[in-house]
Amino acid sequence: MSEPFVHIANLTVKYQQKLVLQDLNWVINRHENWLLCGTSGSGKTTLAKAIAGLIPVYNNEIQLNFTLDTHLPAQVYYVANWYQFKDLEGGANFYYQQRYNSQATATTATVRVELNEFGKENNLEWDKLDHILSALGYAKVIDATLIQLSSGEHKKLQLVKAIWLKPQLLILDQPYNGLDTRSRQNLNVLLEEISAEGTQLIIVGNETELPATINRFAEIKDGVLQEISSESRKVNAAEILSKPVPAFLNQSAVPVSEEHIIRMIDVNITYSGKRVLKDINWEVISGEKWLLQGHNGSGKSTLLSLICGDHPQAYANNFHLFGNKRGSGESIWDIKKRIGLISPELHWYFDASATVWQTVASGFFDSSGLFCNPGSTKHAQVDELIGYFGLTAYQNTLMNVLPLSKQRLALLARTIIKNPEILILDEPCQGLDEQQTQHFNKLVDELCGYGTTLIYVGHFESQLPSCLEKRILLEHGEVKSIESILQSI
Amino acid sequence: MSNYFNTLPLREKLNQLGVCDFMDSSEFLDGVNALKGKKLVIVGCGAQGLNQGLNLRDSGLDVSYTLRKEAIEGKRDSWKNATENNFNVGTYEELIPNADVVVNLTPDKQHTAVVNAIMPLMKQGATLLYSHGFNIVEEGMQVRKDITVIMVAPKCPGSEVRAEYVRGFGVPTLIAVHPENDPEGKGLLQAKAYCVGTGGHKAGVLRSSFVAEVKSDLMGEQTILCGLLQTGSILSFDKMVEKGIEPGYASKLVQYGVEVITEALKQGGITAMMDRLSNIAKLKAFEISEELKTIMRPLFEKHQDDIMSGEFSRIMMEDWAAGDKNLLAWRAATGETGFEKTPAGNVKIGEQEYFDNYTLMVAFVRAGVELAFETMVEAGIKPESAYYESLHETPLIANTIARKKLFEMNRVISDTAEYGCYLFDHACKPLLADFMTRIDTDLVGKNFNEGKDGAVDNRTLIAVNEAIRTHHVEIVGAELRKAMTAMKSIKTA
Repeated sequence: MSEPFVHIANLTVKYQQKLVLQDLNWVINRHENWLLCGTSGSGKTTLAKAIAGLIPVYNNEIQLNFTLDTHLPAQVYYVANWYQFKDLEGGANFYYQQRYNSQATATTATVRVELNEFGKENNLEWDKLDHILSALGYAKVIDATLIQLSSGEHKKLQLVKAIWLKPQLLILDQPYNGLDTRSRQNLNVLLEEISAEGTQLIIVGNETELPATINRFAEIKDGVLQEISSESRKVNAAEILSKPVPAFLNQSAVPVSEEHIIRMIDVNITYSGKRVLKDINWEVISGEKWLLQGHNGSGKSTLLSLICGDHPQAYANNFHLFGNKRGSGESIWDIKKRIGLISPELHWYFDASATVWQTVASGFFDSSGLFCNPGSTKHAQVDELIGYFGLTAYQNTLMNVLPLSKQRLALLARTIIKNPEILILDEPCQGLDEQQTQHFNKLVDELCGYGTTLIYVGHFESQLPSCLEKRILLEHGEVKSIESILQSI
Repeated sequence: MSNYFNTLPLREKLNQLGVCDFMDSSEFLDGVNALKGKKLVIVGCGAQGLNQGLNLRDSGLDVSYTLRKEAIEGKRDSWKNATENNFNVGTYEELIPNADVVVNLTPDKQHTAVVNAIMPLMKQGATLLYSHGFNIVEEGMQVRKDITVIMVAPKCPGSEVRAEYVRGFGVPTLIAVHPENDPEGKGLLQAKAYCVGTGGHKAGVLRSSFVAEVKSDLMGEQTILCGLLQTGSILSFDKMVEKGIEPGYASKLVQYGVEVITEALKQGGITAMMDRLSNIAKLKAFEISEELKTIMRPLFEKHQDDIMSGEFSRIMMEDWAAGDKNLLAWRAATGETGFEKTPAGNVKIGEQEYFDNYTLMVAFVRAGVELAFETMVEAGIKPESAYYESLHETPLIANTIARKKLFEMNRVISDTAEYGCYLFDHACKPLLADFMTRIDTDLVGKNFNEGKDGAVDNRTLIAVNEAIRTHHVEIVGAELRKAMTAMKSIKTA
């Protein structure tokens, strides 16, 4: 048998003096495609980055033997779960509402320019790209600027590049996050195609809908990697969220009423002549539980940004929030006070130099980072909720040194800390494992039982809270249907 | 019109220069109420205009924009900025007569023409708001007596004003009321409300005066902020190339170094910046920065004197009248420097390496900040005002150099700052010629500690630390920074 493609022997990685991986061994032979799973924070991403050369490894513990028998580039390419793009001046200081503003001069490159440069750097042929773009439904955003893309569209851009490149080893970290159902299926078809041409895959995450070419399975536990069978890869999540909900959340946020929380009449959103929301009519009454669905780029985030006071064009529309027409003298802080929001964009642009404790406490003030002293009552509530989410040990840790899943838990705690009247949960469980997701959805069900209004966005049908009653489906910026979902789920 | 400051008796000069009160957050409990329901009309829709307007509207205020007819008909960028964000836009004639507050956010150079055009249209008892006092103080604009004249000056670029607001914070802000134009005594209430509307009240507000703002702002931007950063960058780059350091590396070290170094300044003042050096490098940086202070002090004093006497604005306005002849020539010359024309190399420079290999810039920054602060305070400007216009703004300007070098810095800052920057730079370089012949690559380009024994004398080190830590700018800065704890840290390149 020929030498293995990847040979890892006794790999130890420390992160800020803390042991993440210890004496880890892994052999990847030719024609093997692996799934690498493990609980949140087990070191999956660290290992993936080490293989890709993005984390320094000292004693030659990772050997890569690229083959010369192929035209595929002798490269490991890593697609991160998260990707931070830069503006034209090299800065990355964005805020999540920025994509909704309209500014005469573009500050970020377009997708076309970005792909063009990537293609040039790697000597790729432009005509090979069309197939990938159409499979992922991506051709329509080719002239958008990076700042205008939704989180799912950013994810796809990274995937498009990787598949176009066809490296000898492709590592995909939680590639399905943020993708709609159809895109997930088409991604698997594309991955099978490049795998047939010789690209070997490592998919990182606890995924269930995998491409058929995945033929080996491994799990990291306590810093050590073990091969497992495909059936036994149900992960035992840590004991979290199984305690009783803190008492201060255990009550209705406001007296239940029949008040209209949201009333949109023929709402339109247009950027330089291009309409992204068309004649939206939608009413949400206090206490209703809505599921908001639609493909990547169908306008879901834009719709939610209107509700959260994040979109400047709210002022030009016939749109009532909490009984007031937008632009009748209310401030966005009056609005945000009543809303608990989590979204991929919010996480993406959140101030990662805050500690977990500050992050959770900032939910009382709807700020990204904590800028004032919350006082002793709120202080105690933050402590209690951090305990409930199992984050007490990390409360003084900066967000940017935690794995994404822990960051996400802290942000979920931030979302509910003030017991808001309305919860807007846009893919709240991205990056969480299955059990954490179930626990969180159970918590949502419980909170909603006290009369909280809910708008939930989720791409995975199997991972939704059970309290959802109604569904609004968007397609190309229009309301495709509004229906009761008791029968359809 | 004549220079307003020069018409004042000495007593009143000192009085206005001395307005400086760091405001308690309880001063802002009334929120935006003083402007609620009032019509705010912003003149101009560039970066400050658009971003302040977005914040004010999101705070529940009624905002619209007025532009010159040509800008509206030509659908210029300012018109696009305003209309595409769904603001009402109209001509002066359409919007000014109904405005309760007219917000002048046009460039300095246009102020006289703009104010002369809008003043006859303004209704009785309206308010005129500026972000910079040049027009009132240096050009001596006389505003109709029934009009209230106030200033709200966010101390950050427009994009930051917006970014910090939506994060739930704000940027440090100066507010002022013009004593000649406060007929109803409502100026301060409106200035505070406007400041709340832009989010500034959360990040520390300094009550100032038009006079104090202008005289300190001009001094800061000409000397430490833009002038010295430009001089130091060019001299450092040229020295490295002369001594055989790879130009790509030199370009990168200079472009990003000043940002990384001043980030420490932002977080913890000169003390924190100096503490990032090893003991031996700190002693050396202290020694040469003392030398730099001695060499440059007369130049700093000349700039401050010319600003106070009005000489600076006189010659700059002469250049305006000559079609910006000097400004444009100097701008072109800056574009031709070796630093500007050499792209940053594709080398990785670690965060600590920027300190260890660029000790010279640490010395430049310490010397410049302390000198600017000392000179301003000696001229009658209060220490808090002097802090804002020296130490506080240095990292903000350094960010612009990191983005696209000196060209970018000079594009972002006002024409007034740019003019003063070149003026300083041209006088400063010859002053430092002899000093620079004694500088080698251990201070710029290579690790200062390399090949040296790290030992220091305890008593020398203690004395140097003491001198750094007890400087007046450090005492004042520590107090003011408490109110700005949440300023974002930058990412290194």
